[in-house]
Amino acid sequence: MKATALIGGWLVAAASVAAVAAEPVAFDSPGFPPSSMDTQGRLVEDWAAVGAKLTGEGVTEGPAKVEAFKLDGMIPAARATSNRGAVRLIATAYRAPTFPAGVDVLSFRVEEARGQAAKVTLAIELPEKSRVGLRSVSLGTRTVLTLLPDAVVEREVRDWGYSDDAVSMPGWARPEGKCDPAFRNIRAGMGGVPIVYRFGVAPGSEATVVLGFCESHWAEPDKRPLVCRVEGARDQQVDPIAKWGQHKPGALAFRARDENGDGKLQVAVLPVPGAPDRNTILNAIWVFPPGPAPNLKRVLAGDLSAKAVRYVQVGGENDQSIFLPGKLEYPMTLPAGGVKELTFLAACHGGSAPIPEQAAWTTDTLRRAALAVWSDWPKP
Amino acid sequence: MSTHHHCSHCCLNRRQCMQVLSMTALGAGVGAPLFQAVAEEKAKPAPKDFIDAAKLRPCPEVKVAATFLEMPRPYWLGWPGTTYDLDKHQKTYSALLAQSAQRLGVKVAREAKPIDSEAGVNAWLAKLQAEKPHAILVMLQHMGCWSWVAPIAKKTGIPLIVFAPVGTAFTGHVAGPSRTPGIHVISSLEWPAVEAALHMVKAKRMFEETRVLWIRGDKRNETVVERLGVKVRAIPRDTFNQEFDKQPANEEVKDAASDMRRHAKKVVEPTDGDLVNSARSYVTAKRLLAAEKASALSMDCLGMVQAKLVPTPPCFGWTMLQDQGITAGCEADLFGAISLMMTSYLLDRPGYMNDPVPETVKNLLIASHCTSGSRLAGFEKPAAPFILRNHSESALGVATQILWPEGEPVTLVRFSNANEMIIDTGRVVSNVETPPAGGCRTSVEIKMDDVEDCRDVLGFHQVVVLGNHRRVLQGFCELYGIKHVRSPRTSTFATGVTS
Repeated sequence: MKATALIGGWLVAAASVAAVAAEPVAFDSPGFPPSSMDTQGRLVEDWAAVGAKLTGEGVTEGPAKVEAFKLDGMIPAARATSNRGAVRLIATAYRAPTFPAGVDVLSFRVEEARGQAAKVTLAIELPEKSRVGLRSVSLGTRTVLTLLPDAVVEREVRDWGYSDDAVSMPGWARPEGKCDPAFRNIRAGMGGVPIVYRFGVAPGSEATVVLGFCESHWAEPDKRPLVCRVEGARDQQVDPIAKWGQHKPGALAFRARDENGDGKLQVAVLPVPGAPDRNTILNAIWVFPPGPAPNLKRVLAGDLSAKAVRYVQVGGENDQSIFLPGKLEYPMTLPAGGVKELTFLAACHGGSAPIPEQAAWTTDTLRRAALAVWSDWPKP
Repeated sequence: MSTHHHCSHCCLNRRQCMQVLSMTALGAGVGAPLFQAVAEEKAKPAPKDFIDAAKLRPCPEVKVAATFLEMPRPYWLGWPGTTYDLDKHQKTYSALLAQSAQRLGVKVAREAKPIDSEAGVNAWLAKLQAEKPHAILVMLQHMGCWSWVAPIAKKTGIPLIVFAPVGTAFTGHVAGPSRTPGIHVISSLEWPAVEAALHMVKAKRMFEETRVLWIRGDKRNETVVERLGVKVRAIPRDTFNQEFDKQPANEEVKDAASDMRRHAKKVVEPTDGDLVNSARSYVTAKRLLAAEKASALSMDCLGMVQAKLVPTPPCFGWTMLQDQGITAGCEADLFGAISLMMTSYLLDRPGYMNDPVPETVKNLLIASHCTSGSRLAGFEKPAAPFILRNHSESALGVATQILWPEGEPVTLVRFSNANEMIIDTGRVVSNVETPPAGGCRTSVEIKMDDVEDCRDVLGFHQVVVLGNHRRVLQGFCELYGIKHVRSPRTSTFATGVTS
């Protein structure tokens, strides 16, 4: 195996390697079912086994030593260490006892090992059906992985898609009358999470954006007013019930412009501060070429969808994340002796990972919480 | 009622202490007859198994770093102006700060000299990052100092209190920092607002030092609530009734039962046996709290009554705990209990969590539950009059009808979760009698402030507390990054029914 070759390999290639632990290492928090790190150094949850793949110049395959240890001398944890040529990779996992069900804290530490700068890419293995959001990964409506701020870096993106941590809810709405099929679905930002889409456009260019709404939960106004923020246009506040009524599709048009010239047109729906229901919703987006606003009745009826530059059934069939599915990749440039660490929060048995917009947890407070709980937990 | 129990700093035994408390509850104060009674009791030994409720209340270390920020002297033009006597003001505020710190039991480390340059601020920041105080207080002495405020908050990540005496800020200075999570701005000459801010820091530390027993289900585990840091220890519900069964009607129980009867304005349904059982609940709860190193509890009480596991709901026992600053929540509603802690730790007074009933004819909110603290105006203040009733839903045991003072302002506070708090205010109209009304025994009609329709009041099990505390609760939210919301001002029912 040439040290300079571009080699990709899982953290631990084979369980038969002598240094690999014979048994998975389990860890828990008081009173909850354990998670484990398997003999390949992957974090095993009820939704997937999460591992890391390293590629890059000088990266070799190598066995991992998987062991149990106590963080701060108190917190049960698992660690997988492997020498990978140009770098050394250390995966660490422990359970943070967050209310109500806990969350597993998974860290990958990459250390430059040869005394010279190294360029490597760390890829997190995710299930095929996972949807990657801005700071979270979800399976269905369950948030399974949260990316802490250090793990949010420039990532490869598609030309358009959602760039948020809202959830898709196909079939949620019950639109009345003849209307575009997009009105049947929504994406919802639970607890006030903004719904955000980005569309690739010519830098500085203009467009007409139409947003479609259909409120099927509330019957009375003032429950879920929304703020629509389209780049280059004035914010519009809308209360779908007051404006159109329950189950009644409605649309708003915006003269949009790529104001910051970054070649992306941003469209967002936010909660109104103090609204009784802060869960944001959005059913449809049409991006039309600039010019006179389209006839909104025809847009609602679905007659103009084919003429749109982009037509999005939000939360429906043709929707997509701007981030590539099943893929979290982190290119790293490490100076000689340099270190880079990325931390993720993984949903453990029976729970969900925290929604980033709503959670206040940090690596520091998670660790302190674990220490506080274990310090006073009665010893068997 | 023998409830208030601050014996950790005195040398009274349990019985003596209860007498002190009983008399205080009656408004007797501390006088010669009281000490005479204590002296007569002195010979009796204290029971070995007595648990002092006061010692269950968290008593954390609270460290605050403080400094004056000023511009290089002498001042010439610009606010606060050449006539502003810097030395005199700083001497005054330093003295007030020392007094507030002493009253609250907060350790304040104030810089000996005012900081008057960016270099000085940076040196102080380095010191703060090493010392990690729980909060920072800056006292502004010039408008030019505002540019240092955001960097102090951002670079330390430590909650920041900004005191800007009138003459050091315009609206433009205050607006931005006031909207920044982690900063609480006081633009005023009112020093009590600064003391209230220090109290917020203390309250947050008390949350962090609290373990709440969550008595429900059949699991035993422990978690931590984000942002607030409250530890939640779940223990099986049966633990309580098993411990209750072991609790004899000992001297403490009998004393407590006797005090209940003596201090009640009226006893309607409960028998002597009910009073004893209610006191057993109180003592059982204290034992459990001590055994689990906990400071608060919330129990599935209704489930226990439904399953007939205990002869009495714990309602009156919870009143006694609440009056001593020990949060005792109903129905295993965890965030209801955390909301009770909020009033206990920040406002030094108990409240009660309520089932909200809209009174649509008079457009009032009726806040109703079968228990409430009685020291409504503060742990140190006399108790409100109360009537002993049974628990209305089951006709069992002892529940409390606390008579809230009519015409007085109240606040309704509720953590929806650790990141959002509902805050509303109103005024007590009357105490509702049961019968003719059904529902719970403490039942208070409230005219809501600035809420057009009582049907719009947000939340369930909101905690009702005496006084208008909107500003201080909002301040707590600002300092700790908690969103605060209120019920809609204008009616959402104005358009009538929808098909």
